[in-house]
Amino acid sequence: MSGGLLETIVFYSIAAVALVLAAATVTARRLLRAAVTLMFVLALGAGLYVMLDAEFLAGVQVLVYVGGIVVLIVFVVMLTSRADVVEERPPRARKALGALAALGLFLATAGAILTTRFPLADPGAVPAESAPAIGAALLDYGARGYVVPFEVISLLLLAAIVGGIAVARKSSPPGQPMTSGGDLPGEVDFVPPRSQREPVKGGGDDA
Amino acid sequence: MPDIFSGIGFTPGLQHWLILAAALFAMGVYGVLTRRSAVGVLIAVELLLNSAALTFVVFNRFSRPAAVDGQVMAVFVIAVAAAEVVVAMAIFVALYRVGRTVDLNKLDRLKNDEVER
Amino acid sequence: MSGAVAEFPLALRYAWVVAAIPFVSFAFVGLVLRPLAPRAAGVVATLAIFAAAAMAVAVAIAYYGLYPPGAEHPALVPFAVEWLRYQPGFTIAMGVLVDPISVLLIVVVTSVSALVHLYSLGYMRGDPGFGRFFTFMNLFTFSMLGLVLAPNLLQTYVFWELVGVSSFLLIGYYYERPSAVAASKKAFVVTRFADLGFLLGILLLGYHGFTLFGEVGPAVARDVAGRIAGELQPLDFLYLNDPALLARLAEGGATVGGVGLLTAAMILVFMGAAGKSAMFPLHIWLPDAMEGPTPVSALIHAATMVVAGVYLVARMFPAFAASGDALLVVASVGAFTCLFAAAIGCTQDDIKRVLAFSTLSQLGYMMFALGVAAIDRPAGYTASMFHLFTHAFFKALLFLGAGAVIHAVHSNSIWEMGGLRKRMPVTHLTFLVATLAIAGIWPFAGFFSKDEILAAALHGGHPLVFGVGLLVAALTAFYMFRIYIVTFLGPARHEGAAHAHEAPLVMAVPLVLLALGSIGAGWIPFASFVGLGGEATEHGVELAIAIPATSAGLLGIGLAFLLYSKGAERARSGAAALGAVYRTIKRKFYIDEVYVFLTRRVVFNCVARPIAWFDRHAVDGMVNLSGQTTRWGGRLFGRLHGGKVQAYGVWLVGGTLFLLLILWSAVR
Repeated sequence: MSGGLLETIVFYSIAAVALVLAAATVTARRLLRAAVTLMFVLALGAGLYVMLDAEFLAGVQVLVYVGGIVVLIVFVVMLTSRADVVEERPPRARKALGALAALGLFLATAGAILTTRFPLADPGAVPAESAPAIGAALLDYGARGYVVPFEVISLLLLAAIVGGIAVARKSSPPGQPMTSGGDLPGEVDFVPPRSQREPVKGGGDDA
Repeated sequence: MPDIFSGIGFTPGLQHWLILAAALFAMGVYGVLTRRSAVGVLIAVELLLNSAALTFVVFNRFSRPAAVDGQVMAVFVIAVAAAEVVVAMAIFVALYRVGRTVDLNKLDRLKNDEVER
Repeated sequence: MSGAVAEFPLALRYAWVVAAIPFVSFAFVGLVLRPLAPRAAGVVATLAIFAAAAMAVAVAIAYYGLYPPGAEHPALVPFAVEWLRYQPGFTIAMGVLVDPISVLLIVVVTSVSALVHLYSLGYMRGDPGFGRFFTFMNLFTFSMLGLVLAPNLLQTYVFWELVGVSSFLLIGYYYERPSAVAASKKAFVVTRFADLGFLLGILLLGYHGFTLFGEVGPAVARDVAGRIAGELQPLDFLYLNDPALLARLAEGGATVGGVGLLTAAMILVFMGAAGKSAMFPLHIWLPDAMEGPTPVSALIHAATMVVAGVYLVARMFPAFAASGDALLVVASVGAFTCLFAAAIGCTQDDIKRVLAFSTLSQLGYMMFALGVAAIDRPAGYTASMFHLFTHAFFKALLFLGAGAVIHAVHSNSIWEMGGLRKRMPVTHLTFLVATLAIAGIWPFAGFFSKDEILAAALHGGHPLVFGVGLLVAALTAFYMFRIYIVTFLGPARHEGAAHAHEAPLVMAVPLVLLALGSIGAGWIPFASFVGLGGEATEHGVELAIAIPATSAGLLGIGLAFLLYSKGAERARSGAAALGAVYRTIKRKFYIDEVYVFLTRRVVFNCVARPIAWFDRHAVDGMVNLSGQTTRWGGRLFGRLHGGKVQAYGVWLVGGTLFLLLILWSAVR
């Protein structure tokens, strides 16, 4: 923890802004606005990671979270609503309950945090180099290695991609061969080989 | 009441970081419970995941800086968040196509309808 | 004296066969013959009863061979099978008790039943329920025999109820007639109600008998050892009638509602007997029971079932005698019923009703004869049993004869009969014999038995009862000759009577046999067969009793001829002169109306209706409430499922916080 005063100021500034922006995210009435503020919160999160000596992670955060996920969210917003639609305010009861629940949760967590003696490391300990250490850990075959979760994560991502496509795809009208796109019924831009073709008469969809 | 304020000081230590993460988490919870649109809930969920990853890294830094386990966990969290957003987006798109809405107030087909026998 | 039970003569050891034959016949006829060959059912059933009668006579011969008449007649239990075991010291057996009165009853029951069965072959011919009739008659005979042969109170009770059921089935034989259905219901309900008292009495006796069994039992068991199969049990008659036990029960200070224990128990038992024997005020079912076919009336409601009450009192006579008050109740009720029924019998027009009231009156005689006896003066006991014996013959004969007449004339009313003397000679002659017997005219049977009853009353120090008995003798002669004159003498009053014909042979033979019995039964030296020891009663004609009794009878006969021989104008003017009194008596003193009022207004409205309301609203309501509560609870919890995910989320967070709170407070 070097540069004590500077660090303190930076920390509190980033924290304050992040909190304000997070509040804006969850209360924004236009979804696009919420997506943008989310992007800023995540970016600030990357800054926080830098303060915590996790530079590689900060890079990952920006690349994946900000650059990928927020973009996906914007896609979703565009696809599922008209761009200028304004979300209605939730009813007071729901707001109150939600606030109550969230506040309660925060207090419980804060209470737990403040009353627990966490095992702290020696203040003079040197943090590891972020990128090489992470890389080594991810490919470590030993007992404390993360190679298995690493491989599983890749499977998970594959499954997510395939599942996403499967769910979001348009189902074809009965009797029609599969289409890979196109909005109008009857539009065919892909003809499967003869062996894969469904019988013209009445055949139901095959999985 | 345990004595929590003495000895904490102003310089950001472990507990300050943790409280920040907890606050972000709480706001995410508020968003999940309050938002009317499903996409809004998705956005709030991202906040939750982000604060969880932050917590991992915080513990890594303050309890065992020589190791990177916390950072690895945060990487995984981000990866899972990505997968989750993909799937959620697909579902919302499909839902929107069917019902022209992702308003959670209207999506209540699971409710218990009173059927008089 | 005989030794162990195994050395008893064969007939005694197999005495249970007497009851078993009708049971087997009942099962066989009911299950096999009735559906397949109804005509054969009647014949087989009749033959079975004749076989049982033969066996009963064999038992009688064996018993009196073992204990000749004039000597001591102890009770034997040659057969007993353990049936219920409550505790090692308290079991109930099913068995056979052989003593003078049970031997008497099995002979009477089987022989009368056999003759009635024979008669029914002719009377019930062509009836669609022919097989059913004989099935139930066999069932009844079996039940009655089981009752009579019972060695303990519980077996008596079981067969008592069985007899009630058979009676119900037979009274309601013409079940398509609402009046018959109502009558069978009435009979069953009234006797069932009376049996409540009987059961309470059994419980009292059983409980206290069992409590004292440890002290008194061994001595009694030693007394009866060698005479009974199996061990003595607290509900056995041989135990309950033991003087040592009765003394303990009578003197023990325990009271039931202010009345001594033994007295209370015996009065309750008498309630059951009063129901079955139709004593006032539980007599109401007997006249209505005439809805059944006439052979049923002859067998059940004259000779056998109705005497079950008398038999019960006789069976428990030592217990009754040990409690003087109970015996007094018996005597009073019997005497009152005797007079009451005779009065009503003078006014009825239905020939079977008259006979029914006559039965009531004669049962009254038997009951009060028991009531005026005592342990050391058992003349009344013997007289009562003697009258039971003779009455069985002439009453059955009267009913069967009435049945023949009804069959021929197709009407029950005596005013639609007349002049049957010439058209139905056999019936007429036998009916006349029976009428003379019931009127107590020498040399017929009724003379002897009625005289003995009157003697017992007078010598027992009950002059009032004697007077009542004498008066009723006159009344009996009067009303019996009333129906004889109107039915058989004079011109035919109606078409049916003009075309009457004599009964067929199968119906006439029993009539003749019963008539012979009505003449000869009186000449048996009864006291040497049936008695309780004590004073040796001479069987002879005591002129001091005979003359007043016969005079009373002749008086009644003369009055009947006076009023009825030349048409009935004199009778009618007499009835008109008596006006309201006559009408009240004719309406049976409105007792039935009182009962209807009591049941409708009091029992239904004040007891049954509130209970029904309670059952419907409180009990059912509770059940419904539990169902409704579940439903409301379900609906309530169902509302939690709004389908809105965020609501679930709120619950989730809230629940988690709650759990955390609990954990935190537990850890503190």
